[in-house]
Amino acid sequence: MSRHLTLLTRTTTAGAVIELAGDLDHHTAPEVRDALPGITLAAGQQLTIDLGGLTFCDSSGITMLIAARNHALAAGATIALAAVPERVSRIFRIVGLEQVFPTHPSTQAAEDSWHPTTG
Amino acid sequence: MCGTDDGAADDGGRGRGRDHGRGRDHGRGRSEDHQENQEARFSELLEDSAEDLYEHAPCGYLSTLLDGRIAKINTTLLDWLGYERDALVGRKRFSDLLTVGGRLYHETHFAPLLRMQGEINGIALELKTADGTRLPVMVTSTVKTGGDGQALLIRTTIFDARDRRAYENELLRARQEADRERDRLKVLNTTLQKTLLPPTLANVPGLDVAAHYHIASADEVGGDFYDLFPLAAGTWGMFLGDVCGKGAAAAAVTSLARYTLRAAAVYSPAPDAVLANLNTVLNHEYNGTDPRFCTVIFGLLTPDPDQGGFHITLASGGHPPAMVMRHDGTADSLPTPGGQLIGILPNANIATTTVHLAPGDTLLLHTDGLTEAHTAAGPDGRYSDEALLDLGRALAPTTATDAITAIRDLLDTLGNGVDDDTAVLAVHVPRTTSEEQQ
Repeated sequence: MSRHLTLLTRTTTAGAVIELAGDLDHHTAPEVRDALPGITLAAGQQLTIDLGGLTFCDSSGITMLIAARNHALAAGATIALAAVPERVSRIFRIVGLEQVFPTHPSTQAAEDSWHPTTG
Repeated sequence: MCGTDDGAADDGGRGRGRDHGRGRDHGRGRSEDHQENQEARFSELLEDSAEDLYEHAPCGYLSTLLDGRIAKINTTLLDWLGYERDALVGRKRFSDLLTVGGRLYHETHFAPLLRMQGEINGIALELKTADGTRLPVMVTSTVKTGGDGQALLIRTTIFDARDRRAYENELLRARQEADRERDRLKVLNTTLQKTLLPPTLANVPGLDVAAHYHIASADEVGGDFYDLFPLAAGTWGMFLGDVCGKGAAAAAVTSLARYTLRAAAVYSPAPDAVLANLNTVLNHEYNGTDPRFCTVIFGLLTPDPDQGGFHITLASGGHPPAMVMRHDGTADSLPTPGGQLIGILPNANIATTTVHLAPGDTLLLHTDGLTEAHTAAGPDGRYSDEALLDLGRALAPTTATDAITAIRDLLDTLGNGVDDDTAVLAVHVPRTTSEEQQ
């Protein structure tokens, strides 16, 4: 029933970027959870999650985005979402998370918005 | 050094003479003599082996004519079967050694395949021994042909499969044991799930109440919960929520959420305060790499002596909006924008809304297993909030029981598309007889 999830990570000057494509649900969410510890972030960097290819996201998917946020905050970094599909935005509005995750139209826009902080 | 092996295998007894013919006569050194002695000893050992290997090989050998009559059989197989050679050779067919079931298989599969392919490998059969016991074996046969390609006879090797059969039986037993364990786990899960739900909802004077819990998977405990219970001074509390995730970890959160909500409501029944309390408890309990949260809607029901019916204050922590189906046939969702899911943020925002439930009105709370169900009809292949509101408009005016029945029918229609647990809770203010007459 569930489509596959593909997960790609890369690094920019602003910090790590995770690209998710496919269905992010309780079948596929563990893939993201397992990938998180391997993503290193320096204090002041920004973890960007590109949701442009996401076809579905349920509450397990939301959990993974929160886990990613916790992972970033624990490193003293911040989190940003890029290319959030309308359906995911709608879930965010329902669960009241639209203020918690800064969103950008693209990963490039997210990177451009990032400014290195000192100290 | 092992070159003599070829001789033994090829020409049996003749090997000895050939090897002895080599060597001794040219006055070689001691070490060469020693080597020659060793080779001679090996060839002596091997010399006997062609016949001996056939008769006492660690497997059974059987040669049969094309019609199955036994032409030659080795001692190993005779010992296994408990027969004298004369009792079998020229008298019995291979199929006579098989059990009834084995004979049938031999006739319908084994023999035809052997004729077609010229060989057949590793077939599991049972042989009947002289004393009537059964011997599980693995059988391999080849057809020996003459120079002109004409089939001459069938050579068969037979391996004792008693150990293998015992191993297979052990595997089967382990599998049956595992199946029983899984069934027990299912029963345990279902029982646990039932304990997480109220067995019967409280009987509220002047209110018709119905609920349904749809279990998507018997293997995993889901995390939906609801309750309706009395508070002080004629007021009632109700809640319905959805803990993210499945399994034992989610069940622990569900249990914590249920009892925290009930205790918090007794302490301070204002719905936003109840959810703020739950948020604090969950946030303290679960943070970090394995976040646990729930979405929940909590309602405080107060009878309205002036207008009749109930005044309801709803607080929502990131939960899909409730729906009210009016006595006049309209239906509306009751959004609570800005309410945040419970347990993630230290100071989650709780949004509230109020609704008056007049006689004939029905309020429906649901979890998102319903509106996230896979369906071909909805946008993105999912049943949607909009579709649910359309259903509400079609149902209104309705009762709690009828609304829940309609939702159950819908869940049946969606079938396997409902891959998350779904809970629905409906409350309805019945019309009095005089109101119905108006």
